[in-house]
Amino acid sequence: MPGLTGQPAAESYLGTTQRHVLDDYALDARWSSDGTHLAALPSQGHPAVLDATGALVAELPAHRGGNSSLAWHPSQPVLATVGQDAVLRLHAAPFGRQTREIALASGWCERVAWNPDGRRLAVTCGRRVLVLDAGSGEVQATFDDHRSTVTDLAWNPSRDDQFAAVCDGGAKIWRLGKKAPCAHFDWGGASLLVTWSPDGRWVVTGDQTPSVHLYDTGRKTPLHIQGFESKVKCFAWSDRGERLATGGGSVITLWPCTGPKGPDGATPIQLAGHLGEVLAMDFFPGRPVLASGGADGLVLLWLPLQHSGPALLAKSDAEITAVRWNPHAYVMAYTTSAGEVATGTLRTKETTESQN
Amino acid sequence: MKTPVTVLTGFLGAGKTTLMNRVLTEQHGQRIAVVENEFGEIGIDHELVINAEEEIFEMNNGCICCTVRGDLIRILGNLMKRRDRFDHILIETTGLADPGPVVQTFFVDDDIKEKLSVNAVVTLVDAKHILEHLDDSDEAKEQIAFADVILLNKCDLVDTADLDRLEARLKAMNGMARIHRTTNAEIEIPKVLDVGGFNLDHALAQDPQFLEPEYPFEWGGIFRLPAGPAEITATINPDPIMRLVVLPVAAADEDALAAARETAVRAFSERDDVAAAPSGSTLAADGALRELVLQDGPMRWTLDLPREGCYAVFTEHYPEELAMEIKAAGQTVAAAPAAAYKPDHEHDESVTSVGLKADGECDGEKLSRWLGQLVREQGTDIFRMKGVFAVRGQDKRIVFQGVHMLLDSKPGEPWGGRPRRSSLVFIGRHLDREALNRGFRTCLA
Repeated sequence: MPGLTGQPAAESYLGTTQRHVLDDYALDARWSSDGTHLAALPSQGHPAVLDATGALVAELPAHRGGNSSLAWHPSQPVLATVGQDAVLRLHAAPFGRQTREIALASGWCERVAWNPDGRRLAVTCGRRVLVLDAGSGEVQATFDDHRSTVTDLAWNPSRDDQFAAVCDGGAKIWRLGKKAPCAHFDWGGASLLVTWSPDGRWVVTGDQTPSVHLYDTGRKTPLHIQGFESKVKCFAWSDRGERLATGGGSVITLWPCTGPKGPDGATPIQLAGHLGEVLAMDFFPGRPVLASGGADGLVLLWLPLQHSGPALLAKSDAEITAVRWNPHAYVMAYTTSAGEVATGTLRTKETTESQN
Repeated sequence: MKTPVTVLTGFLGAGKTTLMNRVLTEQHGQRIAVVENEFGEIGIDHELVINAEEEIFEMNNGCICCTVRGDLIRILGNLMKRRDRFDHILIETTGLADPGPVVQTFFVDDDIKEKLSVNAVVTLVDAKHILEHLDDSDEAKEQIAFADVILLNKCDLVDTADLDRLEARLKAMNGMARIHRTTNAEIEIPKVLDVGGFNLDHALAQDPQFLEPEYPFEWGGIFRLPAGPAEITATINPDPIMRLVVLPVAAADEDALAAARETAVRAFSERDDVAAAPSGSTLAADGALRELVLQDGPMRWTLDLPREGCYAVFTEHYPEELAMEIKAAGQTVAAAPAAAYKPDHEHDESVTSVGLKADGECDGEKLSRWLGQLVREQGTDIFRMKGVFAVRGQDKRIVFQGVHMLLDSKPGEPWGGRPRRSSLVFIGRHLDREALNRGFRTCLA
């Protein structure tokens, strides 16, 4: 990343260009794989699709009862949304006019995720995970051997047929075509979130207690990290999975995940700067640069390997609920609990010179 | 401002759904979100009904006190992310649900604790059928033990005397709860939704003997009697037998009655070789426990008194329940002094409530240490605790509540010029009133 311009720390490094206000609390926002569109999801009301500058392109149909999750196709401009109405919607360009609805079942759908090649979608519905053929919309497989609600899932980035589901005291790893899970990590408690490292090595859960479990899928040896101030509500992986950033209070912790033991025995880097709980994080694509958002309304930029303090990207009166870097530009989007979606360009020497 | 939450419990068929429908359809001016126990979501007019499947999160390898409801964390977390906030949230549990994890969710989960608070646990009791469950169902007992409000429902199916007995039994289990008698769950909605915090005066209004220990007898009195035979007569038999102790005392005053009471407690604890005394038999004033065998019609026992003096009599029932009198030389003798005692309840001796109070101030540090030790050692058996403390150095009341091993306290109203005093209530299994009282007294400043 080019050097940041010499702005005083109190000023924002993010030149905000556009703001859009959703119908309700913003749950998440995601860039399409080509970076041309940003989708933002409110808890109630219409999901919005914005262009790369943050201008509204379309408002999409709301899920009855509330929205839950959204996911872009890994290589095409197709957006999936689910909600409490147990309906999966696939939206293609031109957005707002090309919507396919697939009624799944009764019960809330909590999460939707495309597999790495984009040919399948997995949706959690209560205690079941449904895997659908993205082309036909037909359910290919149902995974229902769960005692508890599946609250999150993540595909293995290095395989097209394997995903981790959070349930049953930890996480289960399923493979298409297999009736039994490949692995069941049960630590006797409850987990809520799951993320799979980009290199396919680690499955990581955020737990109901202030802790994180890391499962080295090759070894199947769990690592239980405790001592967080509060429940860990967000993760971020560096590009190749060398580092995992965890929230869990006002301090961000960066865990090294390379080497035979990963974080076990290593000294993590701690990033203190937020005045409230960290609720959102994202690594800049291809660089060890982290953005974070917190309950304090601050969006901060970190260069953790340079051990420098954070730079202010933005400040809001509401909690920051998501921060996302555009995959192809120095553009960031963040959302707030007040339903705001803001996009801006990072002020670097490069972007400043290009503007001049 | 935290959004208040009412937790609705009650055994199967007690009338929870009827009450829920009332809350949803009556004009009470509040916007309410209802969490039921099925999956899915439907909206009813301007209200919101969310269905949820009971799901337990066991923490720390199954520690009862760390067990919370995962479904509620998810659903309430979702509700808190709506701009159109609700005035009130009503959570209906299944008939067999343990209220513990529901209430603990509001103590344990930081996000929920920050934005929501349990206003009251309301338990519906089927007055007609509850006795079938009360002896053998832990869930039914716990639902009563956890209640801030008990609706004794279906009262039209039970006669008043039985209702009185049932209510007395419920009070013995949970002296803190407000009890309302209802039919078809008909009650003014504010009595369910707008329940204030713990109020000892209210508990005392419900049960004036709430703070007193329980005794194995209901009545005791001292009689001045001449030497020779005296008569005990009765005409009503509420039970097949009634236990009684007669013993000589030094004087006819309160101190003598209190001393005799302790002797009588020990005598009543004797369960073996209790002499049966049918009508017509002779009793000695020797402090031994006797069982008067009751029958229909007039009954008469002779009390053989070796000398003139004062004699204390302790009876399992109030004398008026048997139309019982003590006569000497054909004249009825009045007891002076006499006292009514809070009876213990053999049915539910495992689940009881203990209320304690003390005038003056507590030492905050001692109090904290005592409560901490108490819940560490007995937290599993303590369902709920509530109290208001006057802590030395604090201008405001310290309002305290707890569930099992979880404790929470916050400043309440300022004392102002009112006398400072502390009161607290425990509801749970195997509570030792004396030990709790001793422990509490050590915390006084």
